Amino acid sequence: MSTYYLGIDIGSVGGKAVIIDASRKIVASSVVPSGTNYSTTAAALKEEVLNRAGLKPADIKASGSTGTGGRNAVADSYHGVIVCNARGVNLVFPSARTIVDIGGQGSQLIDIDENGQVINFNISEICATGSARLLQLVARILQLNIEDLGPLSLKSTQPSSFSTSCTVFLETEVITRIAQGDKPEDIVAGIHRSIADKVSALTRGVSIRSEVAVIGGGALDIGLVQSIEDKLKLKVLVPQNPRIIAALGAALIAMDRSN
Amino acid sequence: MDNQTSHLYFAGIDIGSTMSKAAVVDAEGRMLAYVVGQTGAQHRLRANKLMEDTLHKVGLPLSDIAYIISTGYGRVNVPFADKQVTELTCHAKGVAALFPDVKTAIDIGGQDAKVLKIKNGRLVDFLTNDKCAAGTGRFLEVAAETLGLDLNEMGNISLQTDTPVKINSLCTIFAQQEIISRLSTGEPLPDILAGVYIAIATRVVKLARQLKVEVPVVFTGGVAKNAGMVKAMESVLGVPVLVPEEPLITGCLGAAILARDEAIKLVQRGEYQAHRDKKLTEARVDFGEKSR
Repeated sequence: MSTYYLGIDIGSVGGKAVIIDASRKIVASSVVPSGTNYSTTAAALKEEVLNRAGLKPADIKASGSTGTGGRNAVADSYHGVIVCNARGVNLVFPSARTIVDIGGQGSQLIDIDENGQVINFNISEICATGSARLLQLVARILQLNIEDLGPLSLKSTQPSSFSTSCTVFLETEVITRIAQGDKPEDIVAGIHRSIADKVSALTRGVSIRSEVAVIGGGALDIGLVQSIEDKLKLKVLVPQNPRIIAALGAALIAMDRSN
Repeated sequence: MDNQTSHLYFAGIDIGSTMSKAAVVDAEGRMLAYVVGQTGAQHRLRANKLMEDTLHKVGLPLSDIAYIISTGYGRVNVPFADKQVTELTCHAKGVAALFPDVKTAIDIGGQDAKVLKIKNGRLVDFLTNDKCAAGTGRFLEVAAETLGLDLNEMGNISLQTDTPVKINSLCTIFAQQEIISRLSTGEPLPDILAGVYIAIATRVVKLARQLKVEVPVVFTGGVAKNAGMVKAMESVLGVPVLVPEEPLITGCLGAAILARDEAIKLVQRGEYQAHRDKKLTEARVDFGEKSR
């Protein structure tokens, strides 16, 4: 009988679950909104990912959880999100040495070695600036779907520049720019630049070493990824599903611990 | 006061990010009337309307106002002002007019917070935060919006408790989420609200402590109207604070008193009539351009 491992990541915006088999292949994954009751979300997420994989709870040999709300999930062990991101990226892109994670609650810059061990990291979590939260806000003001921001931003010829970096004040400034007649694509491209600036400011003490992997919800936005490439002056790697990397890492660690 | 100036009136107008205020004083610097209104998007229209309403209240025509000073974030958008002065100078002047002994003034507005050190009625030092919404009125607005409450109502509800929760998020955006999650875990609303006020006060007091807080402390700005906020400010500072009857108008009152000082100076130098004529000519030019 084959064995499976489960990783659950309850982030500030989304809950993610991944099931891998003994050969570290992803069997199923699932992403849901985190909601306000993390325990309930984690339980529902587990059920959903098991259904997708066509498995029963008993098929899971070990499970690991991570993320802001990860301690509310029923799992064999809890692991810090940085370690999980490092392991997850190492599996998907063995050549990656720097990870840029742009999540709903902040961003992280992580240096890792060839085995996916963390060498150094910097996180921004005190302030929403530089987090993917800003993308939600801009999408709402411009009445766009968050998925449409990236392609729209790529059309920009003159990105708007913003005088503030506070997410709350940026909301007002975006409205002012709309009133002044800035085009939506320029506003979005300006916001992408502003996030990329903040992310690149995290490099203090952490060097950017090729190759760079961009993960987290922000990595789904092609315009933001492009802005980060422009800012860092290099091409980056983006996983097919950048949101599930920490959950994948949690599953990998759970697997290590059980063997 | 000589009889050249004793019949004159002076005005100050403060166009803030959220609220606009105007005041008229007499030659003794006594406030005769004030009006407060939302700033909105059209600063010039707001400035005109505000001045009109204030003059209506005292029953004076604009021509009786000898000198007008504009201040605040939108001070450039007051076409009828004789002079623009920064809000820090005006606030210090206004606060000292109401509380002559003041040593520390804390002002929390819609989009910023300022701490002023005042000695013998003069501004000697200051610090401001306009980079981050935490510790400004905006933080309260976001909280009120999240909870579907009116700002005053929020203050009163918060007074029902002495056990505020600790809001861990510094960032307004994250605090919004924290409030939602605190509600969902069943924390009582008054405790959460009191925690929100403590969070703002903590942030502003941190700024104030960099300049050393000396009593008497005067607390002004729109946020000082909130009873919950005043209580939190006193508890975090550890000293009582003085709040003017109308905490929004210290800026425009200071501007009006400075307008009086400025006009008296011009009169004493015999330059007032020339200033007046120049202003009238400018107004005519404006009018001419508009009608073309």
